[in-house]
Amino acid sequence: MASKTFDKDTMLDLTVNMVPLVIILFFVVGFSVFNPFGFESLASGLQYGILIGSFVLLAALTYLSGKAIAGSEKTDTVYLPGQATVPGATPLHGEHEDAAAEIEESADAEAVESAEGTA
Amino acid sequence: MEVNGQLVLTVLMGLFLIAVAAWLARVENWRSYTPLAGAGAVGSTEQYVSEEKPSGVIRWLTTVDHKDIGILYGAYGLIAFVVGGLMVVVMRLELADPASTLISNTFYNSLLTSHGITMLFLFGTPIIAAFSNYFIPLLIGADDMAFPRINAIAFWLLPPAALLIWAGFFPIPDVIPAQTAWTMYTPLSAGVGSGNQMNAGVDLMLLGLHLSGVSATMGAINFIATIFTERNEKVSWANLDIFSWTILTQSGLILFAFPLLGSAILMLLLDRNFDTMFFAVEGGAILWQHLFWFFGHPEVYILVLPPMGLVSLILPRFAGRRLFGFKFVVYSTLAIGVLSFGVWAHHMFATGMDPRLRASFMAVSMAIAIPSAVKTFNWITTMWNGKIRLTTPMLFCIGFVSNFIIGGVTGVFLASIPVDLVLHDTYYVVGHFHYIVMGAIAFAGFAGLYYWFPIYTGRMYQTTLGKWHFWLSMVGTNLTFFVMVLLGYGGMPRRYATYLPEFATLHQIATVGALILFVAQVIFVWNFVQSWLEGPKVEDGDPWDLADDDLVTSEWHWFDRKLQTAIADGGEEEAELATDGGERIDDSQSTSDVSSDGGDPVAETDATSDE
Ligand code: HEM
Ligand SMILES: [Cu+2]
Repeated sequence: MASKTFDKDTMLDLTVNMVPLVIILFFVVGFSVFNPFGFESLASGLQYGILIGSFVLLAALTYLSGKAIAGSEKTDTVYLPGQATVPGATPLHGEHEDAAAEIEESADAEAVESAEGTA
Repeated sequence: MEVNGQLVLTVLMGLFLIAVAAWLARVENWRSYTPLAGAGAVGSTEQYVSEEKPSGVIRWLTTVDHKDIGILYGAYGLIAFVVGGLMVVVMRLELADPASTLISNTFYNSLLTSHGITMLFLFGTPIIAAFSNYFIPLLIGADDMAFPRINAIAFWLLPPAALLIWAGFFPIPDVIPAQTAWTMYTPLSAGVGSGNQMNAGVDLMLLGLHLSGVSATMGAINFIATIFTERNEKVSWANLDIFSWTILTQSGLILFAFPLLGSAILMLLLDRNFDTMFFAVEGGAILWQHLFWFFGHPEVYILVLPPMGLVSLILPRFAGRRLFGFKFVVYSTLAIGVLSFGVWAHHMFATGMDPRLRASFMAVSMAIAIPSAVKTFNWITTMWNGKIRLTTPMLFCIGFVSNFIIGGVTGVFLASIPVDLVLHDTYYVVGHFHYIVMGAIAFAGFAGLYYWFPIYTGRMYQTTLGKWHFWLSMVGTNLTFFVMVLLGYGGMPRRYATYLPEFATLHQIATVGALILFVAQVIFVWNFVQSWLEGPKVEDGDPWDLADDDLVTSEWHWFDRKLQTAIADGGEEEAELATDGGERIDDSQSTSDVSSDGGDPVAETDATSDE
């Protein structure tokens, strides 16, 4: 399930949050390697606490929101945001219940992608 | 001199209250759709807007309708904007020359404090709540907010909050306004020392601030509950619009940030009045700063995220295409929400805190700049080669992007410790955050006010005046605040009523800029009020022609049906009554069919063929 929800497109969407995560990671490593101020349990604990705490929370929220959004993309009809209750709005891609539509789905998704890119 | 300034301000405030009361009375007559227009409708029981809504002032005092509450928030926010704006005009006039010619130094400090608190807590938060109350239920297809009565209570806590915050300016014996600046640093705000900040005016201000925090928290809980539980079944997480996403994130931030401010304020009040020592012991001053900024930094994102949502919603409609990288914007909004709790000490770099800790806060501050930058690129890419229509709301959106870039870039520089140690507490900081709070947040607010003007007034504003408003605001903002960036480079410290002669020219330019901004807002108020009362009626449910590009969103569809039902019923009097009856039912069924509205298949077909 997880791998199905977090497919290539979703991972691509999530890169936007990977960047700050990587930056934080970069500083965690950086502060460990270059440490001009020495180690002192309270101050260093807080130093890494801030970084790692932010990292964990951001990773968790990114995971949860990615799951919620990508998950509902798989199960419900997707409209342009804000258009779901407008009658006659064209769905971006429809129901994906049956497994047979798997191929069509990825084609669809690509169409949406490219539409998003070029529109 | 001081007394004169105070008197002038008090009189001005009084005049505004009267103007507002008169305006409400007129608006109410017009909006209540009573056939007996002009029959002083102060809540006489025979007159009803609809079955469940009395007319007249009583309607506004008792309403739990999210749209009415939205309008109340909007009116409140704009009044606070006027008050805070007039305060700063007086300050800028004082700064036109180095001497204290117009007002005393202490009165300057009072204005400075109240200007900041008024703009952030009484204008910023409420004006956002105006949009979210009115439009979130429409956008997500909900009947109303999850807790309509809590919604009303949350609003009604705000007027007393404003009275408390401004209490020092009222002619009450022995009460003077707070002069602590909006950050309320101890020991000054604890009333320690030989200054005058032990005065009850400071206590009243703190209580008012606390009350506004309670209001914001209640609102936030309501929005979280509404967006989680009241969405129409078709509105899945994947279909949720960007404005709702930003409000959801903002509400989460409020939920974690404001209670902390409330607690810190209570501790301060205890220190002031009950001899506790929270902030008096060694390290107390730093404790205050940590508590305050743990709230304070999320607060700036509480203020900026929904405006970003407004721009993300409105800007694509006038670029003729959907928002580029919609999901990038959603995820980066959430990222900002989380990270904004890990950067607070970048406001305290100069306090001599542990260098290791300081480095960490710098790192997270750099990381949080990424999601903000991502959004900026998304907006620009959305406009790239788009079919751009430079309507007033679009102009304000573009102004937002432009100002946000300058505000954001100056912020990133401040986040770098060595740069901050030079620029901290100078006008550079003032320039940085005003590019964001005025140049971006207020601009997005104007974009929203113009964009949805037809929906909440049923009328159209005067487009030429709208453009004047934009251009004067844009020029005024950049003149005023860019000059402040330069002043900061020159070493001009912030929060002073006077300055060295070498800064005179730049300060005078800033004053000219502020006056341009003032003129722009006068135009805005005139346009807004006059068009609301007398502007041409909007008969098209899609006044921005969004259907051409398939960009209609739910709230316009709702508006369209509201108009259709009004016309379909014919007959002046009946039509008017029916509109509102329709409006009430409409709400509950912006989700399903129109047919329950009694003989409206016409409206339904029209609506569909329109799109
Ligand atoms: C791009 C991300 C941002 C960064 C890296 C950033 C960084 C900073 C830093 C380091 C300071 C402290 C300067 C000092 O006092 O020495 C500061 C001050 C401030 N920033 Fe930002 N900022 C950013 C965005 C924002 C936004 C979006 C807002 C408003 C919504 C904002 C509002 C403020 C305010 C109000 C202050 C001054 C607080 C005070 O001392 O009164 N900033 N910013
Ligand atoms: Cu900050």
